[in-house]
Amino acid sequence: MTRNDPIKHFFIWPALIIVLLISIFPLVYSLTTSFMSMRLVPPMPARFVGFGNYADLLSNPRFWHVAGTTTLIAFLSVGLQYVIGLSVALALNSRVPGEGIFRVGFLLPMLVAPVAVALVARQILNPTMGPLNEFMSAFGFPNLPFLTQTSWALGSIIVVEVWQWTPFVILMLLAGLQTLPDDVYEAAALENATPWQQFRDITFPMLLPISTAVVFIRLIESYKIMDTVFVMTGGGPGVSTETLTLFAYQEGFKKFNLGYTSALSFLFLIFITVIGLVYLAVLKPYLEKHK
Amino acid sequence: MRKLLLASTAAGLLAAAANGTAFACDPDFTGVELTATTQTGPYIASALQIAAKGWEEKTCGKVKVVEFPWSELYPKIVTSLTSGEDAFDVIAFAPAWAPDFTDFLAEMPAEMRQGSAWEDIAPVYREQLMVWNGKVLSQTMDGDAHTYTYRIDLFENADNQKAFKEKYGYDLAPAKTWKQYLDIAEFFNQPANNLWGTAEAFRRGGQQFWFLFSHVAGYTSHPDNPGGMFFDPDTMDAQVNNPGWVRGLEEYIRASKLAPPNALNFSFGEVNAAFAGGQVAESIGWGDTGVIAADPKQSKVAGKVGSAPLPGVDEIYNYKTKMWDKFDQVVQTSFMAFGGWQAAVPSSSTKQEAAWNYIQYLTSPEVSAQAAITGGTGVNPYRLSHTTNLELWSKIFSDREAKEYLGAQKDAVTAKNIALDMRLPGYFSYTEVLEIELSKALAGEVTPQQALDTVAEQWNKLTDEFGRDKQLAAYRSSMGLPQK
Repeated sequence: MTRNDPIKHFFIWPALIIVLLISIFPLVYSLTTSFMSMRLVPPMPARFVGFGNYADLLSNPRFWHVAGTTTLIAFLSVGLQYVIGLSVALALNSRVPGEGIFRVGFLLPMLVAPVAVALVARQILNPTMGPLNEFMSAFGFPNLPFLTQTSWALGSIIVVEVWQWTPFVILMLLAGLQTLPDDVYEAAALENATPWQQFRDITFPMLLPISTAVVFIRLIESYKIMDTVFVMTGGGPGVSTETLTLFAYQEGFKKFNLGYTSALSFLFLIFITVIGLVYLAVLKPYLEKHK
Repeated sequence: MRKLLLASTAAGLLAAAANGTAFACDPDFTGVELTATTQTGPYIASALQIAAKGWEEKTCGKVKVVEFPWSELYPKIVTSLTSGEDAFDVIAFAPAWAPDFTDFLAEMPAEMRQGSAWEDIAPVYREQLMVWNGKVLSQTMDGDAHTYTYRIDLFENADNQKAFKEKYGYDLAPAKTWKQYLDIAEFFNQPANNLWGTAEAFRRGGQQFWFLFSHVAGYTSHPDNPGGMFFDPDTMDAQVNNPGWVRGLEEYIRASKLAPPNALNFSFGEVNAAFAGGQVAESIGWGDTGVIAADPKQSKVAGKVGSAPLPGVDEIYNYKTKMWDKFDQVVQTSFMAFGGWQAAVPSSSTKQEAAWNYIQYLTSPEVSAQAAITGGTGVNPYRLSHTTNLELWSKIFSDREAKEYLGAQKDAVTAKNIALDMRLPGYFSYTEVLEIELSKALAGEVTPQQALDTVAEQWNKLTDEFGRDKQLAAYRSSMGLPQK
């Protein structure tokens, strides 16, 4: 078969058409919808509104509030996931006794569906029937409003996120740690470098590329958080724990305001892209330095 | 001879089979397959499934029940109706969606609207919730009204009765007014004894606004101004921030302080769990509370579950005169929270006769009574016979519990002053605004008046966006008022 053999079309076009239908068409359709006023409830004829939906969203305080909440949850939870994940990965990498059991144990939370995790958390945090408050009451502490007061509710969601997704960070960083060459550490030991110096000047810099990737993946995923919030607080009290995806769900599946929801989805996409680009731009000099 | 014998036997068998079929198929819908749709089971879908089996045996037809998750049910139905495609022969839907569906529904056959089975349907359903612009376009298949549930053992404890009378100056008994309801909740709010006053749904997205509506209905449903609870039926101006609503919201917030900790995260499921778990002395909600609390497998208070209609009021805000009107007697207002699932036949269906026949079977006194006492069907009483057949309910209740439960259910749907739930195009847009402000008010971030002022402003904005005249026409129809 030569490069100009027409048979290539027979193989290429079906795949291309499938890709177009499955991924490109929904995106284009959604983008088109974002410039329309389109409601299913009550059914109203679609009309072109240009950037009207985008302007409405950008001037809606609720949008900025949920964007702020999502950012807070994402950055705090991913920060904690990284710190805890790196510590555990370092511990597991030092070949502690029973390391295999620990490794499986630490990975379990990641294997559970987020909805199930949120339901379990909601039950644990239940003030009257939940074990946490029962335990605290036994020591004379008052019942805490874990899911009904803004700061506690945000904290609870972050803790659940950290609990569920730190294993992913552990897994990735542990894999990274196990690829680090032994000779560098042997040389450092000969130079009498302390464990802290070895970590600061060898382990951390050499782990930076994989750390960057792990944090990037987790950050993007955390911005998409919905199920945990939906089950634990429903976005309340008020809209204080509502995230961008939950906001989109409310607009799209409760109010069926499709044009507005599409615009919200694209703003969300832009938002995440900007955050991703800034993140990579900030880290680029460090990555170049330790290449 | 052998051939003759075989032939005559075969002929005999065929004749017997034919006779048997003719006997079984009444009416005969052999070869007819209906497609019915509703939300993913078990609630409501299982009632359709159970009835489908019986109907298939009776008529030789077939019913395919197609279930969609709650969030997808509305768009699936609305798109099939507006496109005119013959996708569904029976739709079972939330009454709040009726305004968007009624243009595409077939009228109920006249023969279904007569006789004892028709008269047996509670008037509020038969005359109001199933009717749109004078036409019966759907059949109620589930009754939904809020009632009051209380702990018989706590209320009849001599020490409690004495202490209550000393503190409040009147006898401890099921609350007749909303003020008494809060007094009782306050009296029994004893966290040290693992007992709290009341339980209601306060969680955003957890049916909270129906509980607020029950409080508000008492103070805003003026017998002289029917249909004026949510909007002024002449102008479509939102009434949601009038003094009656503010009082209702203040009391709803007060109830949240007399509920178990974390009650702000309660949806109706948690209300049932709290009552059945013996955590609260009283609660309001749908009939499920009584059924669950009476079941020893699910409840710690089985045998001690009392029921009554919702508390009432002795003064009601008159939105026309902008004054509070005093009444000599307590006015008990029943609130039709949610309003009960409706079954209807799209005009586009080509099997309307069979479809209505299936609905008739599904909602017949016998089949529906069985569904009402079967856990998991989600069917609550909506026929008068559902509330009088003590024998049927004694399977799950003690005699006293059954008597009180059925009495409360009956009173709820036959009360003189009944407040209908809001049914408007864009229903969720209106309720979402309310839910958000309600949650802020419950969390103490805004005052009740501020919260309701915001809701009123946004409701008026939504009404203008959707078309004030169109919304007004729909609102009047939903409240059973003639068009202007």
